[in-house]
Amino acid sequence: MPSPAVLAQLRKIVGLDALLDRPEDLMLYEYDGGVRKCTPAAVVFPQETRQVAQIMKLAGSAGFPIVARGAGTGLSGGAIAPEGGVVIAFARMNRILEVDAGNMRAVVQPGVVNQQLSDSVAHLGLYFAPDPSSQKACTIGGNVAENSGGPHTLAYGVTVNHVTGLTVVMPSGEILRFGGKAAECTGYDLTGFLVGSEGTIGIVTEITVRLLRRPENIATLLGIFETIDDGAKTVSAITAAGITPAALEMLDGWTLRAVEAACHAGYPLDAGAVLLIELEGLAEQVEEQAEAVREVCFQQKAREVRRAKDENERGLLWKGRKNAFAALGRLAPSYYSQDGVVPRTKIPAVLQFIEGISQKYGLRIGNIFHAGDGNLHPLILFDPRDPHQLELVQAAGAEILERCVEMGGSITGEHGVGLEKRNLMPLLFTDDDLDVMLSLHNAFNAAAVLNPGKLFPTTRMCRETSGPSTNPVLQAEGM
Amino acid sequence: MSAPGVSLDVARELRSICGHDNVAERPVGGVYVCPGSTEEVAEVLTFANEHHLSIGPAGGSTERSAAELRTDIVLHTNRLTEVEHYDHGDLTVGIGAGATVAQLNLMVGADRLLFAGDPPMPDRCTVGGLLATAVYGPLRHGYGAVRDYCIGVRFVTGDGRRGKGGGRVVKNVAGYDLMKLLIGSYGTLAVITSASFKLFPSPRQTKTFLAEFATANEALQFRDRILRSPLSPVCLELVSPGARKLMRPEMTSDTWVMCVRAAGSDAVLTRYQKELGSVITRELEGDSEQRMWRAIQNFGYAGDGRDDARAPELIYLSVWPREVPDVVDTLLKQSALSGVDVSLIGRVGVGLLLVRVADKEAGTAAIHKLIVVLERVFGDKITLKLRGAVNPWPIPPTNLASMRAIKQALDPNNTLRGRNIF
Repeated sequence: MPSPAVLAQLRKIVGLDALLDRPEDLMLYEYDGGVRKCTPAAVVFPQETRQVAQIMKLAGSAGFPIVARGAGTGLSGGAIAPEGGVVIAFARMNRILEVDAGNMRAVVQPGVVNQQLSDSVAHLGLYFAPDPSSQKACTIGGNVAENSGGPHTLAYGVTVNHVTGLTVVMPSGEILRFGGKAAECTGYDLTGFLVGSEGTIGIVTEITVRLLRRPENIATLLGIFETIDDGAKTVSAITAAGITPAALEMLDGWTLRAVEAACHAGYPLDAGAVLLIELEGLAEQVEEQAEAVREVCFQQKAREVRRAKDENERGLLWKGRKNAFAALGRLAPSYYSQDGVVPRTKIPAVLQFIEGISQKYGLRIGNIFHAGDGNLHPLILFDPRDPHQLELVQAAGAEILERCVEMGGSITGEHGVGLEKRNLMPLLFTDDDLDVMLSLHNAFNAAAVLNPGKLFPTTRMCRETSGPSTNPVLQAEGM
Repeated sequence: MSAPGVSLDVARELRSICGHDNVAERPVGGVYVCPGSTEEVAEVLTFANEHHLSIGPAGGSTERSAAELRTDIVLHTNRLTEVEHYDHGDLTVGIGAGATVAQLNLMVGADRLLFAGDPPMPDRCTVGGLLATAVYGPLRHGYGAVRDYCIGVRFVTGDGRRGKGGGRVVKNVAGYDLMKLLIGSYGTLAVITSASFKLFPSPRQTKTFLAEFATANEALQFRDRILRSPLSPVCLELVSPGARKLMRPEMTSDTWVMCVRAAGSDAVLTRYQKELGSVITRELEGDSEQRMWRAIQNFGYAGDGRDDARAPELIYLSVWPREVPDVVDTLLKQSALSGVDVSLIGRVGVGLLLVRVADKEAGTAAIHKLIVVLERVFGDKITLKLRGAVNPWPIPPTNLASMRAIKQALDPNNTLRGRNIF
């Protein structure tokens, strides 16, 4: 916990109006989009990289942990402060520093909202491809920390595929520049390594991103199926037909009814599942692919395939998809969103498994997810005021993720490990694997000043047989 | 380099790990070892690390010849060829680092899938080598870099620890992205033993449109027109007159050629024809198209033979796309000044140029002068790598301290010394 003297120093760095430490203010920063909570000791709002470096140095010398925060939309607890920690919020570092259309690049501060970047370059016919469902709120700094995805990553890749350079404040307080506007870097790909490191290696204060040209034509199709299984089988049938849609999303019948009630997107109320399929590119190519996708859908027993007639209809279909999580708020006080991944041919099997888990635990689980990538988002509804329910929900979630890993998949496709899934890391990684990652963590953040307690399991690794851990990440957890 | 007596003991130890037939003493001193599994690679590295012996990993020797490695042990990956997973419905594959890119292409091609890595000499270039050097071919324009479609990697660190990054699925953010760290690290951090990749549906048909121009500048204006258009070709390549003559000695024309490779149905290809317009002088399909792209893929290699000490120098330049005309102009002026023959090709849509200086003996001094000029004129607008050099980065990386910290974490005794980058 930073002392009053340290808080005074922090105020001196960022300015009197750029630090919060009253309990009623701090409450807003104790949670993110996940289910964990912890009240920080203070929140600071730096306005420039130099201030972030000064804060970092102070944290190192005074011994308090810090965590960077964008909009707090993360779903894995990545931006939750540890006990006594200080949050560095990037709300005031939210400028687009440069748009370089000739080189298809933009340089932005971490607090720039994802959608805002695409909007600001739309007049140039450009956009930023990663599009998390929270893109109206989430920041590019947060996208970088978690290596965020979104529906259109099926064709265009996740955040790391669209970042070519970073300015980073390291735990030492040094300000470093990794990569730049060029497609290839000199030396190790430190930019690629930093993206998705969940704020445990350095704090990013400037980001150089790749911009893409908007496609000539877009077709948005809605494949309507009687059963989840038919919809699920269609996913790999589409890719087997040699088509890579820009996006391929699935909503089960139960979820789409909730979404329809909230958003009036035009989803059918009596379907077992729908696939939202988007095709982009040259007009000729889009038309051919749209026809081919229709055929595949009907071969897989689709009841109907609709096509958005105009931008308004397309917008409505996507509004339903992107606001789906919020729509479920009508059905239960809270939900627990999972982020498992399976090879796409295993989607039918894993959906059956999830149905079994729903029955086993007596919990309602909706499925709305990036089917094309095999990236599932089972949404488990619950009431957080009942501690027993939260335990059940977490156990059900863990079982689903275990099954994903058994099928050759992963515990997280785009949300990150954070606090939420750190103890599931041994499902994917051996002690040796984690040891290698830990040695890289300790190469830069050995004192665990930066975002302690994230990403690495707190359950003791086999090698540590007795006594308190010498591993600073685990020490921060009181292990 | 160890004394000969020590080398004999090393060979005996390595034979006990990898079997008698998989270890050989090198005429230049040191030992050649071919482990057959990740476990054996780990044992070899642990042994070398404990005894402070140096190791140079080697694949197909297309980037740097294994014969040039001056380490106590040359670790060859040629026995690590196992297919770890492959389901064509998932569009993913996992394969040993010693498999060649041609073997991988053959396997997935049978299911009409495409592995987007197209390095020079794919029948020799290994998957591990492709990753370690981050080398690319003309498909780099349309499919991205190997960092974009490598989804998992298994490796052994310099100090003998087995590690893993990513996995088998196309979307995965669990743990640090160690693929990014190892790709392009030239085997200085770890020996990659296998990797997983995202695959793409193979285009059913392609066609290549050629347009010729009197100057590079005009060719690059055509590039800009394509980049602003709705077209998204799979390859977009600039070929200099010199490069064209190297690939087809019978060519006498002094024109710059832009090669636009399109994939799609007849209707899509017709649209390309229409958009590209009258500037197109030739269209290639089938065998002649394949031959041309193979020549471009092997540029700087064709007929050179990497075991030949006179193999030409090759610079991989990455330039801000808008700066390509000025960089080409500078290269040509320097070539004229120094009298050294410079030819180039490039994936100019994404700002990548391959610059070849024909005669290695005359070229080495000239190429270093060229690099000095490029650095002075363009600063951070370019990055470059030198093929086959002990240090591939003649302009030192700006973040050597961070790189050293990573090296220290994964290879504290500097066991992996095939390259000298620090």
